[in-house]
Amino acid sequence: MTSNAQEIEDLIGQQDYEAGFVTDIEVDTFPPGLDEDVIRRLSKVKNEPDFMLEYRLEAYRHWLTMTEPNWAQLNIEPIDYQAISYYSAPKKKEDGPKSLDEVDPELLETYKKLGIPLDEQERLAGIAVDAVFDSVSVATTFKGKLKEAGVIFCPISEALQDYPELVKQYLGTVVPAGDNFFAALNAAVFTDGSFVYIPKGVRCPMELSTYFRINAANTGQFERTLIIADEGSHVSYLEGCTAPMRDENQLHAAVVELVALDNAEIKYSTVQNWYPGDKDGKGGIYNFVTKRAECRGKNSKVSWTQVETGSAITWKYPSCVLLGENSVGEFYSVALTNNYQQADTGTKMIHIGANTRSTIISKGISAGKAQNTYRGLVKVAKSAKNARNYTQCDSLLVGDRCGAHTFPYVEVKQPTAKVEHEATTSKISEDQLFFCQQRGLSAEDAVSMIVNGFCKEVFKELPMEFAVEAQALLGISLEGSVG
Amino acid sequence: MTETASLALIEDYPQLKADLPGYDVDWCRAFREQAFSQFSASGFPSPREEEWRYTNVSAIEKKRFHWAAAEKTIDPAWVQSLFLDDCWTVVLIDGVFSSDYSRLSGLPDGVMVASVAEILQSNPDALKGYLGQAVSDKEHNFIAFNSAWFRDGIFIRVEAGVNLEQSIQIVHVTTQTETLSCTRQIFVLQEGAAAEIIETYAGQDCAYLTTSVNEVFLADKAQLSASKVQQEAEQAWHFGGWYVKQSAQAQFTHHHFAFGGLLTRTDIHCDLETAAECELNGLFLGMKRQHQDSHTRIVHQKPDAISREQYKGVLDQRARGVFQGRVIVAQDAQRTDSQMNNQNLLLSEYAEIDTKPQLEIYADDVKCAHGVTVGQLDENSVFYCQSRGLDEESARNMLTFAFANQMVKKLERKDLHDHVLSLLLQRFPQQGVDSSWL
Repeated sequence: MTSNAQEIEDLIGQQDYEAGFVTDIEVDTFPPGLDEDVIRRLSKVKNEPDFMLEYRLEAYRHWLTMTEPNWAQLNIEPIDYQAISYYSAPKKKEDGPKSLDEVDPELLETYKKLGIPLDEQERLAGIAVDAVFDSVSVATTFKGKLKEAGVIFCPISEALQDYPELVKQYLGTVVPAGDNFFAALNAAVFTDGSFVYIPKGVRCPMELSTYFRINAANTGQFERTLIIADEGSHVSYLEGCTAPMRDENQLHAAVVELVALDNAEIKYSTVQNWYPGDKDGKGGIYNFVTKRAECRGKNSKVSWTQVETGSAITWKYPSCVLLGENSVGEFYSVALTNNYQQADTGTKMIHIGANTRSTIISKGISAGKAQNTYRGLVKVAKSAKNARNYTQCDSLLVGDRCGAHTFPYVEVKQPTAKVEHEATTSKISEDQLFFCQQRGLSAEDAVSMIVNGFCKEVFKELPMEFAVEAQALLGISLEGSVG
Repeated sequence: MTETASLALIEDYPQLKADLPGYDVDWCRAFREQAFSQFSASGFPSPREEEWRYTNVSAIEKKRFHWAAAEKTIDPAWVQSLFLDDCWTVVLIDGVFSSDYSRLSGLPDGVMVASVAEILQSNPDALKGYLGQAVSDKEHNFIAFNSAWFRDGIFIRVEAGVNLEQSIQIVHVTTQTETLSCTRQIFVLQEGAAAEIIETYAGQDCAYLTTSVNEVFLADKAQLSASKVQQEAEQAWHFGGWYVKQSAQAQFTHHHFAFGGLLTRTDIHCDLETAAECELNGLFLGMKRQHQDSHTRIVHQKPDAISREQYKGVLDQRARGVFQGRVIVAQDAQRTDSQMNNQNLLLSEYAEIDTKPQLEIYADDVKCAHGVTVGQLDENSVFYCQSRGLDEESARNMLTFAFANQMVKKLERKDLHDHVLSLLLQRFPQQGVDSSWL
């Protein structure tokens, strides 16, 4: 960036959020409001099988009886659920794009600008991408190649039509429709998301990834992801998200369900970069997500890696239910909050099967006036003989007006279990900064470098392309927090 | 409809309240009435409250509690067996100060030890600035209950610069079944004063409810060393709280031993001003169906304060242990140094531990850490002992005992140390543990 542009940006006082543009595109949008008719219409627009409509309506009726949870260490402006539009999609030409060539060039441009070219030729590494734009999936790449391997990777709305039995068998079995307030809302109104099925013994030939983009104003994004790894299979899945800069808060309430059967392994990585609001805390996405994995089979493994730099409020606990014997759950997290951002995130490891193991590494970085909370539960049931957990939560404070909090819950009913929890909180020391500056780094670069070092344990779990992106994001998100 | 304990208590309150100490004093009556209305609105805390998540007191509701009937003849030798040597001893029987048993002769000038009920009669304003000032009834309803119902308690004041050479021991004994023993203590150490207070809770074999709230005010540079030995009867319910306000450079050390009772809970809250120091040590043992809950909160309000905390739990049979340790560092509390550690040993398949350390930090220049472990005895250590000729059971007993004894060893007073050690030995199988080593 030229210094001129930098100055202009300083004048406007905008934060460097590169994904903050709006795509001007014709859209079909439902008027704001939520009732049973909206859900019926939604189900009809998506041409869903009958069981889905039933499922949605049941979830909606249950949702009406629930109240918003308020136990988190968060300040949330009240959300008006009737002011949100529950469906917004780029206008379709007839039946929708059959191939990439038919996708609206405006959309392709949008993804290109975000650094996600949907053109299969241009991909550096073999990563299949499902691009979700507001309420619908606009393109999925490498479908053919994946099909050869037997892997199903498609928008969940498509899966509902092509593989209804498979979806019915698994949907809502990990996160039931009535699980919590936001999960119930999602079950009632979810619009799209990715569906992945890896058949027995298959090692998915490429990384799968979904890119979520909120574009329309006054909408909420409610996506649903369901990943099933059948016996002996392996998959690595990545997720990224961005949204335009707006003064209003927008709600993003997703549900992610993972099922790992015998000897299967799922690696789920997230780089979350929703619009965080401006430096006075205006606008930004409310990221209230329910993510849960069930290690149903023996020797199965689920690994969550998340880098949370965006969103005005992040409130999520990617969890593992370790049912199968010898199953393994992992959680690696970097959560960075700056300005007025708030994060209350962590994980739950529920040990039920014997010899189950879990590892939790959480790094929280808080700058500006942000509040960053780690909240986690390690629960060892009586049946979980020889269960093992190791938890490490480190917090780094940048500035004297931010907060870092740690709330681990440990519940153990099995004497052979071994559970360890460690937490530390500190700030970047003057000595460290001085050392870097003395070697010619600017204060900001020095902070960025130290923070990256602090997060290294987590970044090394990310696939390479994501690790690079995550490091760059940390630098941007910390901008303006020093000096 | 079955009537619950709290409903019965609430119903009886109007007849009872006129006899409560301080009820004829305007400010104290207002204090009690407010606490009563809070308690009568919702009764004892429910597990739906975050701070009571793991401790369900609904069993209390199935009982009836009332003031002890006329003093029962008790065995003086039993009461005296609880006494430590070289102490000023204050005894509360069924929640009422007993001058017969107390030994207070020779207290130096500048030290006052008296019954709270008496002071509320003779000079109530002496307590006005203290009652309800270190802890608010809003904290939870055991506090409100105590504020409304307390029948007596001990007031201790040590004037500026006085250094008490002997310890003060407060012995709470409950002797009758269904007794409600409800006391409020106020300890005031003026600037630079130093004292040691030891609390002992014991009961004869019966089911009763103890609630005891201690409000502690430490002025600048005051030093208080405190211990709580909880050896309540097997069927007893116990709620005890220490709420400590520490001014600049005040020091507070607390050793907590939770051995007895059926369901017990202890709250320890410390509020630290500039450069104050607090050290909390605790050991809880659970056997049979015991439920031992230890709840601590350390608030660093101002810069440069130091806190250290170590709690250990040993749970056997069907016992359940709960530890909640919360450290809050306020925005101004720069250069805070805080460490917390909780280690738990599960000895049986049916034992359970729920532990929840919490760090809430609003300042940046801090050093804070906490650690938690849960596990069973290390098999390598057991094997090592066996390879040296011990049988397995002795090896396990020895290691378990050593784990717990680490907390007992921190006691500096010899007779207190020996007393706690003997309690510890009574509660664990001794085969393999040779007390001559200790």
